Amino acid sequence: MKLWKRSVNVRVGLLYLLPSIILFSMFVFYPMAKTIYLSFFLTNQNGLPVYFNGIENYTYIFSSDEFRNSMKATLLFVIYTVPVSVLIALIMAILANEKLKGIGFYRTIFSSTMGISVAASAVVWLFLFHPSVGAFNNILKAINLPAVQWLLDPEWALLSVSLTTIWMNIGFNFLVILGGLQNIDESLYESATIDGAGYFTKLRRITIPLLSPTLFFIITISLINTFQSFGQIDILTKGGPIQSTNLVVYSIYKEAFVNYQFGTASAQAIVLFAVVLIVTILQFKFGERKVHYQ
Amino acid sequence: MKMPLSQKVLFYILLTIFAVLVFFPVAYAFLISFMTPQEVLMGNILPRSFSFGNYEQAFERLPLLRYLLNSFVVSTIVMAGQVLVCAMAAYVFVFLPFRGSNLIFFLFISTMMIPWEATMIPNFLLVQGFGWTNTYMALTLPFFASAFGTFLLRQHFLTIPYELYEAAQIGGVGKLKFFWKVVLPMSKTSVITLGAYSFLTTWNMYLWPLLTTTNDTVRTVQIGIRQLQSNESATDWGVVMAGVMIIILPTLILLFLGQKQLQKGLTQGAIK
Amino acid sequence: MSNLKKLFAFGLMFVLMLIISACNGEEAADESDQTKGETEENTAPANGEKVKIEFWHAMSGPNQQAIDDIVADYNASQDKYEVESLFQGSYEESLTKLRSVGGTADAPAIMQVFEVGTKYMIESGYIEPVQTFIDKDGYDISQLEENILNYYSVDDQLYSMPFNSSTPVMLYNKDAFAAAGLDPENPPETFEEVKAAAEKLTNGDMKGFSILLYGWFFEEMLATQGGLYVDADNGRTGEVTEALFNGEEGRRVFEFLKEMNDAGTLGNFGSVWDDIRTAFVSGQVAMYLDSSAGISGVVESAPFEVGAAYIPHSEEADRNGVIIGGASLWMMNGISEEEQAGAWDFMKYLQTAPVQAKWHVTTGYFAINPAAYDEAIVKERWIQYPQFQVTVDQLQDTKPSTATQGALISVFPESREHIVTAIEELYQGGDPQAVLDKAAESTNRAIEIANKTSGN
Repeated sequence: MKLWKRSVNVRVGLLYLLPSIILFSMFVFYPMAKTIYLSFFLTNQNGLPVYFNGIENYTYIFSSDEFRNSMKATLLFVIYTVPVSVLIALIMAILANEKLKGIGFYRTIFSSTMGISVAASAVVWLFLFHPSVGAFNNILKAINLPAVQWLLDPEWALLSVSLTTIWMNIGFNFLVILGGLQNIDESLYESATIDGAGYFTKLRRITIPLLSPTLFFIITISLINTFQSFGQIDILTKGGPIQSTNLVVYSIYKEAFVNYQFGTASAQAIVLFAVVLIVTILQFKFGERKVHYQ
Repeated sequence: MKMPLSQKVLFYILLTIFAVLVFFPVAYAFLISFMTPQEVLMGNILPRSFSFGNYEQAFERLPLLRYLLNSFVVSTIVMAGQVLVCAMAAYVFVFLPFRGSNLIFFLFISTMMIPWEATMIPNFLLVQGFGWTNTYMALTLPFFASAFGTFLLRQHFLTIPYELYEAAQIGGVGKLKFFWKVVLPMSKTSVITLGAYSFLTTWNMYLWPLLTTTNDTVRTVQIGIRQLQSNESATDWGVVMAGVMIIILPTLILLFLGQKQLQKGLTQGAIK
Repeated sequence: MSNLKKLFAFGLMFVLMLIISACNGEEAADESDQTKGETEENTAPANGEKVKIEFWHAMSGPNQQAIDDIVADYNASQDKYEVESLFQGSYEESLTKLRSVGGTADAPAIMQVFEVGTKYMIESGYIEPVQTFIDKDGYDISQLEENILNYYSVDDQLYSMPFNSSTPVMLYNKDAFAAAGLDPENPPETFEEVKAAAEKLTNGDMKGFSILLYGWFFEEMLATQGGLYVDADNGRTGEVTEALFNGEEGRRVFEFLKEMNDAGTLGNFGSVWDDIRTAFVSGQVAMYLDSSAGISGVVESAPFEVGAAYIPHSEEADRNGVIIGGASLWMMNGISEEEQAGAWDFMKYLQTAPVQAKWHVTTGYFAINPAAYDEAIVKERWIQYPQFQVTVDQLQDTKPSTATQGALISVFPESREHIVTAIEELYQGGDPQAVLDKAAESTNRAIEIANKTSGN
């Protein structure tokens, strides 16, 4: 009886958790286990695992230039996009946090990219990058600079895709950071002003430290999301040229749905999972130390 | 706070520069959506006339209204389902903790690190096995449980004093009643935020709807954009951009209306 | 504040719009539910209940329009069957979808699959060879274009019905030819001639020659020299074990491209059809290889006169001709006999001369039925676009052989990817033989895996 009463939280708790547990099991844990299972097999033309291949799938991808290249491209892509998009969003949020007339208009514009889907954004940017009629090359032409092969030059393609991604992420990042800024107590600034602190001193001493939890949150989310970018690659470059934009998720997609190799695709997926996990753990380990909670 | 005029002007200049940079692609796409292929080819900036020919063509080529409705239905269902499922889970982690509930929480959060694409193949086979292709079920149910949503709501629930819960328990208020009558209303901001966020992300889903729909009955609007793009024949950019405009309009309006709410709510997840 | 009000009003309007469309949508859904119920209950149609035939295709844009028109015509032409055409994404995506519904009730009756998916489809077990229906029906296929049938025939069995067939063709800018002192009526035919012409044509913004980064064009330039893509006679006589495209003929193609790239006379416009066409139309490249299905669009939008020529071949080999590209229609085996009968009827309808003529002139794909070329609309079109004539001649001049029949391998899509990577590496200064060997090696691995896992 006592046990029954003491365990009330467990019973009721599990009841409330049941939908989540069932759904996660069905659509995340079970498929994840199956992905692991598939990663030890070769699949036939209909995607059925028919040939047990041991760890050969893993040794193959680690020894293949292609996969190493796509890991490298993914890391570069993350390095290009995450810091820049957070930094730009931070600057925009600080600007938009001022109490100025018509600031609501600017906030709306700044957050607008969040309302634009990956598919739509990528199509718009595909046109901006267009080698002959795109806006960017028209602008370059107008100021007498040579045209750039934005998506065709292996030196440029990853940067171009990163640019698109930065733009796509700015809206969400801006909104979150602005929210964080508005949570900072106004009186802190007032007393600092009385103490004679200048604009940048206040920014450095008050804004940034108090904003650190928000920044930590947004960096974590951005990191995870960026590792999983897919739509813009699919529409803009399809992984080319010379696989310079063949990010891991795209490589998985191609291996699975173009080449019908569920086995090697699954092995790549597991490796991606491991990398994301490690990066996140490192982020929490080293990043959270610098976070300043109120 | 008073601000010197020079500083004010500087702020406005900076704000405007950023606004132009951010909005330029959309504005440009908007202008292109009124152009004929020849105008596009010539690299014009302004269309010769603002006629809706391209829009008519976009609607003619595809049942865009049907797609819009499908997207709306799917997004609304996911929004409602996700808020409910996540709120129930978050409620347990905050108010009904038990031995091992932290472990379950960590397990849930860890799903954030599983790339969706990694589980896509088995998921697809699963949905197929249930006979859910071309149903709203396939497009909605897998997204009800969300680690991000649970996390967001948990962070907000944590700000509700636990004493309140204890008082309610002593006062004989049931757990369900407390959940409905106290926790949810007190977390309105986060709930609305999560709702808006899940609505937007569902609206924007791309690969999954493409894989699980084989006809127009439940197909969503994002697929339309792909269909507008020609495969082996020259692309009519004007029509494509008209399609893009039609697709982004609803979410942009929603975002503009709910922007304040979203920005308030999303940060709740960030600050412990 | 007034801004906010306006926004709000706007939002309200949107919600209203959605509600209105929701009502319509529900009605539509109800209707479809009803018809579903009826087909299940009323097995004996009293007033001509139509059999639904699902037709999956990968044609988007104007070509989708063309398909929808033909389907509407067919549905109006008889009252037994109702064909429903459904776009399923690109060739690759639609094949992916098919694989997951193959053999179930969700599978379509007719499926359009690109040419390199032929082997995959034969092995998939989801299909019924159209030969079955040809034999049963006594259908005369000799009226159809032999070269096209050749591609889709395996062991003298026609597995699928050719539908949208195209061949590569070299398009060139006649005005630029005249300006460079070349004869616009006498386009270059061999690699050397193309190189020489490209040299003269390269001028300022304009490059002399270009190809789309797409494996198909390499396959074609290989085949026209009589080169094989894989062993076992291009997979037509036995099990494929290795790639042969890195041999002599393949190397010639790569050297041809490399020399022009080094000389700065080759343009690279990526792997999107639209981009290379735009480049040509806007005068950034004077000669390039395109699909015959692209001609009408290019001719229409080009502000100069467009010439069409046979694709170039090496001096060291005779011209053998071209392989058929495009896609064909496959009959599924998981569906009812009634549906199969309807699907077969529709396929036959598609092969009739008037339909083929219409298809040919609206899309630029070949007429599978040569009789279509005698139709009035085609003749008119050919006067307007004499370039079409060249593509038809090129196809009919093709020497039938295992090279021009095209390779049959199940991992073709993957192999194409490797070829594209090889060409890109070539453009970045790679050695022709080395990059080809690498592509061959990757293809070999794919073949090896396919062989390991097939037969289960």
